[in-house]
Amino acid sequence: MEMKTIKFVINGVKQELRIPPWRTLLEVIREDLKLTGAKEGCGQGECGSCTVIMGGKSVNSCLVPAMEADGQEITTIEGLKNGEELHPIQEAFVEHAGMQCGFCTPGMIMSAKHLLDHNSDPTLEEIQEGVSGNFCRCTGYTKIFESIDAAAKSMKGGR
Amino acid sequence: MKSNNGMIGKSIPRIGAIERLLGKPLFSADMELDHPLVLKVLPSDRHHARILDIDTAEAARVEGVVEIFTAEDIPRNHLTGIINKDRPLLAKNKVRSKGDAVALVAALNIHAAETAAKKIHVVYEDLPSVHDPEEALKNHASKVHEKGNLLFTRKIKKGNPEKAFEACAVVVEKTYRTSFLEHTYLEPDAGAGYLDPDGNLVIIASTQNPHYDHSELVSLLGVAPEKVRIVQAATGGGFGSKLDLNVQGFIGLALYHLKRPVMCTFTREETYRMTAKRHPLKMVFKTGADENGHLMAMTAKMICDTGAYGSYGLAVASRAPVHATGPYEIDHVDVECRCVYTNNPFAGAMRGFGVPQAAFAHESQMDLLAEALGMDPLEIRRVNALKAGHKTATGQLLNGSVGIDQCLEAVKPHYENALKTWLHGETDFAKQRGVGLGAMWYGIGNTGVQNPSTAHIEMDGEGRITLYTGCADIGQGSTTVLSQIAAAVLGISPDMLCMVVGDTAFTSNAGATSASRQTYISGNAVKNAAEKLADVLLTEGVDLLKRPKTDLMLENGFVVYKKDPDHRMPFSKIAARAAKRGIPLRWQGYFDPETVPLDPETGEGVPYATYAFACHVALVTVDVLTGEVTVHKIIAAHDVGRAIHPASVEGQIRGGAAMGVGFALMEEYDPSTTRSLKDYHIPTAMDMPEIIPIIIESSEPTGPFGAKGVGEPALIPTAPAVINGITNAVSARIYHLPANLERVLEASIQSGKFTMKEVA
Repeated sequence: MEMKTIKFVINGVKQELRIPPWRTLLEVIREDLKLTGAKEGCGQGECGSCTVIMGGKSVNSCLVPAMEADGQEITTIEGLKNGEELHPIQEAFVEHAGMQCGFCTPGMIMSAKHLLDHNSDPTLEEIQEGVSGNFCRCTGYTKIFESIDAAAKSMKGGR
Repeated sequence: MKSNNGMIGKSIPRIGAIERLLGKPLFSADMELDHPLVLKVLPSDRHHARILDIDTAEAARVEGVVEIFTAEDIPRNHLTGIINKDRPLLAKNKVRSKGDAVALVAALNIHAAETAAKKIHVVYEDLPSVHDPEEALKNHASKVHEKGNLLFTRKIKKGNPEKAFEACAVVVEKTYRTSFLEHTYLEPDAGAGYLDPDGNLVIIASTQNPHYDHSELVSLLGVAPEKVRIVQAATGGGFGSKLDLNVQGFIGLALYHLKRPVMCTFTREETYRMTAKRHPLKMVFKTGADENGHLMAMTAKMICDTGAYGSYGLAVASRAPVHATGPYEIDHVDVECRCVYTNNPFAGAMRGFGVPQAAFAHESQMDLLAEALGMDPLEIRRVNALKAGHKTATGQLLNGSVGIDQCLEAVKPHYENALKTWLHGETDFAKQRGVGLGAMWYGIGNTGVQNPSTAHIEMDGEGRITLYTGCADIGQGSTTVLSQIAAAVLGISPDMLCMVVGDTAFTSNAGATSASRQTYISGNAVKNAAEKLADVLLTEGVDLLKRPKTDLMLENGFVVYKKDPDHRMPFSKIAARAAKRGIPLRWQGYFDPETVPLDPETGEGVPYATYAFACHVALVTVDVLTGEVTVHKIIAAHDVGRAIHPASVEGQIRGGAAMGVGFALMEEYDPSTTRSLKDYHIPTAMDMPEIIPIIIESSEPTGPFGAKGVGEPALIPTAPAVINGITNAVSARIYHLPANLERVLEASIQSGKFTMKEVA
């Protein structure tokens, strides 16, 4: 079995792993690094539960070969909080009931973060577009939109 | 208990929210065990076949394979099922559908397990298969089960509808059909298991009913009940499908034989192939009214396809006919529903148990009658709406909370405004607007059978209180609601309670998280337990505070003299003293709603102690050239009795309406082509209408603080409202759900709306 070495920074921590080249980024994150926040909901890039941010882009980590992570910087839900303090997006999801069962939530929040990283003042349509690749079966989405909108406002307020 | 220290009706922070937002390992597939084996199920690839041989020799030689199990390895009873036991954990002698589990591989890693599963050679002898429930009832049909293909029939009879139809000014008769649906909870089924130091089997799983799982494992394995412990992991939605034993049995079987940690995580494809679906129903409805729109009589013939196994089919086949009248009083009723085995994927519980299907029919009928009589659709509903003092089709006298008319009243301004202004707004000639109504009623709890819940509450010697409940929170927020109920009774803040939830080693049976029953039934059980403890605290307080019990209350962890709040005693002191004196500080609560079993011939009885009611208005636009339907807005009025946690009630309404839009417009599981999420469309962020929840609180005297339930009701009125809106837009009705592009376009063509130019 041919093993490859990859190096990347995940949530600010340097990692060097030897992996078989066919493994996905999601498998490596969940199984090798024990960061289980990103979820596998479909394994086909349909549901967005596995969304992480890699190189400034939000990606479905179930479709990304781990080899592509070499040299990249990755953020997962576990890397969002600042010490013990919740990220404003996480706070907004509590405040605005943006979550029910919580399975889609890590991916949803990472898509929201990607959106707000590039657009600090999104319209409702831009928010909808921003999470259109993330399925939620519980909430009916509206409270997710409200949470993201509230997070945008709170982050603009200097948070 | 009258006062509730402000805890009831307050949207407190949801228990477990922070952990989920941080991405903590709470779900079954996140569990970290010591080198767990992974399990892989080999499903049948035949619709109906005898198993002549299962050869596992080649598979067993795959490197990394530890063991391969077949039906012979099941120690005791191989059949599972909560209502009727007909579904083998692993197929014995024959398979009845393409999802039947045939063998189970345990291996060191997933690749070995998958490779081995492919190398198991099963020799089948195909049997004729049947895929249509009406065909399945014919004499020559292949028998899916030995006892025959008719699983169950429910009849509801009241008065003489055939005679009453003769006196009707208008009678409408139509046939309605619905499709198989997939729950598509975001978390595919998963579980993990290990042996504890005493050699007991511990199974952590995504489930809606840990105590049922426990009884099923005991039955499969033939072990003493105390040898099995089921722990509900965080559960990523269920919507009915996680009421069945999906992975728990496989984990238990492997754990029993191998005595090493195991994990079983379904892929999305496995969840689609091997778990329950929503029952498709064919429904022939005949409804008659007088010239004023009063409903005089109705009959319905319903047939539901339960596929290869019963699961919750009996419940569906009971609920659909019981609710067939809709939330209306009708004196003459004759409804029959048959539940039939076929070789299709098995169907089970899905949010609403057949009532969403029935509501599609009864609400379409209401609009057809209104049209025939030249009446307004809202008016005909108000004329017939059930009220306290009315009798249902099963002869039940409604004397508690009946809030349907309040729901209709609440949507009225929105509805009238939509008709007056929105309907006539500027739009492209190809985009026709429509406004539709859908109403419903829904019995809380199981149908005409006992379905108790229990709970325990305990105060330790230092005054700390722990609530134990077997009630599975699957994302709807029941743990938070139950904590509020206990806190309200005990005069404390919910965060002062320690909650132990869904762990059969510590909790007692609260029944299934289904039938919208947990707030009402488990809420009452928790309230009952808390009241017993509260009574002890107050009684002990009399001795210590030297004041009569009626002048004492519980507040912020103290027994307080009402007339002088400074005269008080902390729980800790009372607990210490009570403990010394041997006064019990652990109490059990119990509640079972008062029902009367339905008569097998007439359906007479009391199926539920209370009902929830709702009405939705849908504003839709139909593109008459493409068949595309856009739902702009849903106004959703729900009588929930009392909203204990309003944000969660609204959450249910919004999520239910979203699922209702899917049921109406896009969701259809085709057993021959649907494999994964690529083939099955659920509403995305781009499909969502604006939803305006309106909470109606018609207090239920038997409910905890007046509460009923909302989980399933939330979904039920949406599809009828959307379908009636489409009809309003294109002047043609759709009788087969979902109203997908093809069906809507066909309706548009049939009604002459399909045109390339504007017509005056």
